[in-house]
Amino acid sequence: MMMTKSTKVTLVFGTLLLTAGLAISSFWLRALPQDLTIRFHPYVGDKPLVLNSQSYKNPGGDGEFSIRDFQLFISNIALEFSKKTINEAESYHLVRFDGDSTFDQFVIPNIKIQNLRKLSFGIGIDPKANGAILFSGDLDPNSRMAWNWQVGYKFLLLEGTLTLRESQLPLVYHIGFDESYTKLNFDIAPEINAKNGVINFKIDLRRLFQKSSKVAKSSIRLKSNEDIEYIDMSEMSHVKFSPVDVKAIAIGFHDFISIL
Amino acid sequence: MKIATIVVAIAVLFIASTIYTQQNKKLDTHLVEFTAPFVFGRFNLPENNPLTQESVLLGRRLFYDPILSSNNQVSCATCHKQALAFTDGLKTSVGISGNPLAFNSMSLVNLMWGPRHFFWDGRVSSLEEQAIHPIAHVDEMARNIEELIVDLNNDETYKKLFKQAFGNISEQNIAKALANFQRTLISANSRYDQYLRGEISLTAKEEQGRKLFMAHPDTKVVLRGGNCIDCHSQFLTSGFGTAFDGFSNNGLDDDQTLQPGLFTLTNNEMHRGLFKAPTLRNIAVTSPYMHDGRFATLQEVLAHYNGGIKRSKTLSPLIIEADNIAKTQSDHISLNLNDNEITAIIAFLHTLTDEKFLANRAFSSPFMAENNDDD
Ligand code: HEC
Ligand code: HEC
Repeated sequence: MMMTKSTKVTLVFGTLLLTAGLAISSFWLRALPQDLTIRFHPYVGDKPLVLNSQSYKNPGGDGEFSIRDFQLFISNIALEFSKKTINEAESYHLVRFDGDSTFDQFVIPNIKIQNLRKLSFGIGIDPKANGAILFSGDLDPNSRMAWNWQVGYKFLLLEGTLTLRESQLPLVYHIGFDESYTKLNFDIAPEINAKNGVINFKIDLRRLFQKSSKVAKSSIRLKSNEDIEYIDMSEMSHVKFSPVDVKAIAIGFHDFISIL
Repeated sequence: MKIATIVVAIAVLFIASTIYTQQNKKLDTHLVEFTAPFVFGRFNLPENNPLTQESVLLGRRLFYDPILSSNNQVSCATCHKQALAFTDGLKTSVGISGNPLAFNSMSLVNLMWGPRHFFWDGRVSSLEEQAIHPIAHVDEMARNIEELIVDLNNDETYKKLFKQAFGNISEQNIAKALANFQRTLISANSRYDQYLRGEISLTAKEEQGRKLFMAHPDTKVVLRGGNCIDCHSQFLTSGFGTAFDGFSNNGLDDDQTLQPGLFTLTNNEMHRGLFKAPTLRNIAVTSPYMHDGRFATLQEVLAHYNGGIKRSKTLSPLIIEADNIAKTQSDHISLNLNDNEITAIIAFLHTLTDEKFLANRAFSSPFMAENNDDD
């Protein structure tokens, strides 16, 4: 087939236009900052957590439990990009599940999500803020998450009821202390980025009651999920200030949150 | 954290409101400058009602004026008396009809902080919205608002005050003025405040009580506590400000007698019997206690928390669980504090009395001041 001069010109121009268009639009896409939504979905094992009305098996013993209140602090969010890292200012978020929706979330505005590689945050309050009287982000010394100023904050508040055959036990887990502050790191794969700027996390309450620690688990790689031993809630129905008990629960923070 | 740090932190901040969005730009108003302890935290002011001196002046006059009632005998101050930290000393309040109301009068103090829901059951969400309720209520002031506006328009003083504060007389502006006067009712000079500022130390007994108030008991680490802080915040001593965290069921009634409480607002069964945890500031002068005034003394209140708790399905798990002797698994709920500890907590509660607040002339009846000026 012969090409006329005019077809050639059109083709060349067309290609040029197309490349330019692609270049501009891809540049545009990459450069366009978006709101990044960090969304948390609470679970008990595989089942979504529903407050009050749902019961779940005591992970390490008899009876069933229900949850009335569940709140925790997520703090010091750091977003790592190919070239730089952004630390959110006043980064103290109270995440709670007593609202009308099944999840809770917060939004970090103006993020070039396409370039996001890693995300990290802490469960709890870093020692510096935990030892101060500070109104920053969701920190409020007059709030339900505050103990008195000498003790600092509850990082996690979990309250409910364990129903055994003949009795009901109140469940009170108020987990705090500087030693419990736990940093979590997540790799953000490109396909996660694509989901409308939302990163979905699962919070699994069962993890708080697993007996094997992170360290133990990685050394015995063969352990499958079924082999994990769990704490019997009836034997540890309230944890507040006993350092040993707090540690037993807070060790679960390492495996507590995962990307959905 | 050391006490020295808190002393620094508490250095009183000078807070001047920066919002200046007066709808009527021509009005020449002045913002109130007030001080509040840093530890009270952020405060809530509605954007459409700047805290101006003119509106507070007007609100104060309205608060003390029986013109707000249909028989010209009941004012807000009938049920909210300054000497009693703006309560009335009655089991449940009595207004124009003479029929006792269902509820005990509430102290009006530090209203810019704490829960953003007002009344014992939280049914209104702003002071502006609240202010119209008692005026219109048949048992309280039974006043037709339209007629009230006509009467206010016939009063030269009010015409002038409304003009200066808002431009005109309206239901909305009556509410705004009352709300703003009440916002200025800040109590922050009790012995507890002075202690927090590092100016005084508490007596040994008061200090023991403070520690008990501020601790949830944990027998595992031999920590004794009264668990009050589980619901009454450490500095404000009120319920918590976030969402409905400031509401709870503290065991006054069993399932048969449980009142609706917060359920009135939310229609959520889990909120049945939850009431606003009130501020405990000036608590020694605001008897009788609880939403229905059932306890005459602080001794009775403490006896309630220390063994009088009634079970119901929404009772706070923190109350069931809090015990100063290792759990006996018995049905009887008690903190199991000893008599010495009970008197210590009561001694601490007395440090919350702010004599200066109770006598502050800026909060008293402007009519008395006017009369005094006459003689
Ligand atoms: C007849 C007595 C009576 C009168 C008059 C009265 N109040 Fe009250 N006030 C009460 C009672 C009782 C409550 C608690 C009622 C409830 O929870 O339903 C209350 C509650 C309040 C509250 C809620 C406080 C809180 O922390 O939630 C405010 C604010 C208030 N009153 C302001 C006023 C104002 C302003 C006026 C005048 C316009 C007024 N009251 C007139 C008896 C009265
Ligand atoms: C589980 C939450 C909770 C705990 C714990 C708690 N309170 Fe309360 N408190 C409340 C609520 C809610 C009310 C109002 C209840 C009502 O009237 O229905 C209240 C009312 C009071 C009142 C009466 C206030 C008034 O103006 O009438 C006093 C006094 C009081 N509490 C003191 C204490 C002390 C002291 C402690 C610790 C020993 C304590 N509270 C522990 C929630 C709690």
